[in-house]
Amino acid sequence: MIDTITSAFYRVMIYDDRWRMWLSGLELTLTVTFFALLVGLLAGLTLAIVRVTYDSSAKPNPLLIILNRFAKLYISAIRGIPMVVQLLVWALVILAASRNSFLIATLAFGFNSGAYVSEVFRAGIASIDKGQSEAGRSLGLSYAQTMLKIILPQAIKNCLPAFGNEFISLLKETSIAGMAAIADVTQVGNIIRGRTFDPAPLFFVAAIYLILVLFLEFLIRQMEKALNKSDRRTGKPIAKLKRKGLVRND
Amino acid sequence: MIKVIGLSKKFDDLEVLKGIDEEILQGEKVVIIGPSGSGKSTFLRCLNLMEFPTGGEILFEGENVAGYRKGKQLNAHRQRIGMVFQHFNLFPHLSVIENITLAPVMLKKSTKAEALRNAARLLDRIGLAEKAANYPATLSGGQKQRVAIVRALAMEPKVMLFDEPTSALDPEMVGEVLDLIGDLADEGMTMVLVTHEMGFAREVGSRILFMDEGKIVEQAEPTTFFTNPQSPRLQDFLAKVV
Repeated sequence: MIDTITSAFYRVMIYDDRWRMWLSGLELTLTVTFFALLVGLLAGLTLAIVRVTYDSSAKPNPLLIILNRFAKLYISAIRGIPMVVQLLVWALVILAASRNSFLIATLAFGFNSGAYVSEVFRAGIASIDKGQSEAGRSLGLSYAQTMLKIILPQAIKNCLPAFGNEFISLLKETSIAGMAAIADVTQVGNIIRGRTFDPAPLFFVAAIYLILVLFLEFLIRQMEKALNKSDRRTGKPIAKLKRKGLVRND
Repeated sequence: MIKVIGLSKKFDDLEVLKGIDEEILQGEKVVIIGPSGSGKSTFLRCLNLMEFPTGGEILFEGENVAGYRKGKQLNAHRQRIGMVFQHFNLFPHLSVIENITLAPVMLKKSTKAEALRNAARLLDRIGLAEKAANYPATLSGGQKQRVAIVRALAMEPKVMLFDEPTSALDPEMVGEVLDLIGDLADEGMTMVLVTHEMGFAREVGSRILFMDEGKIVEQAEPTTFFTNPQSPRLQDFLAKVV
């Protein structure tokens, strides 16, 4: 048993310096996921704000109507077309002239994720009691200020679990990046499998994703803890306030 | 200070306010009572344009604000009117003192340091200085509402609107909130208050309005209002609630 594992490890990792290929595959998987996540967050937040603003305004202006229609169409299209097909459309049509497969993958996965993230954000914003925005607006804050300082901080906290889900899906979805000629972890596994003529590299691929996801889950838990600070008795500012003499020592 | 002329408000086909004419003078404490659905909250919320009127005029110090819909004018109008809600609506992700300083700092009414000092002074006044760094979740209902009141005061409004400020409170906490509102009244703050606390209305109000079906049916100073109601609707209402 041990012998089988060590010999597999030797063939898959050590021989011919194959660990270098794994490392570069891992780097690609992580960077594509990371930048796609940023693109997705930005696109998702923008789409969500367009839709929420449209839904909450009694008489939306023409630009907002157009933006809202576009957002709805975009979300339907992304959700209705398989990711592999989207990736190929990016690679063979939209960015056919580009040889930068990293860029292609980042945009394809990012804009895909954006559609899902926008729905997560939208649900998060909708979960905040109407009284919150009323309180903000009654103080004289603008719609944007209320959104930024009052609604979004609470909404983001509420959608963190759903958002963690999306993050994990995104990481795993990048495993089809090979279709766009990107040597990510999965693709490296395939290449090495073609040389070892056995399924051992597949187990390594599986193990790598599993470990990455476990790590992500850990990160998300830490973020949830950090954002749950308002459930605790007092916040950080107390020390600062005491120094200024604004709060009594109890 | 606020003059309302022919104010009406429709929600789709439902006419909630049917032509209100009223003038609120500087320093007055106007209490609005009436059955639910009579339009008293809507009237209150029209004054700071939380609801947009569908007809009539609202003259605030002579300036007709009824048509303000967005941007600077609207926000500037709301800044001079403080509002207190039934459900407090404190910001749960901010500490007590941040709740109070958020608006003055964001709207550049004062520097951060000034706002903090002012907030600390306000908290001291309501006896919650030691709660400055707490989050709202840790406060009792009465404490929350008192913080909500000073949050509105931090913007130094010219008028305070109270929309059933004690309706969501446990009975033993009603007193502390009413005491604070009463203190503000004594200091000369102009206020409009929707409430079901008849005793308090009588004690604090300088004038009481009775609303029913979108209209002000009757009004008088408190003693006359409660001892000598004229319209059958008000007599009927008082018989049920007092």
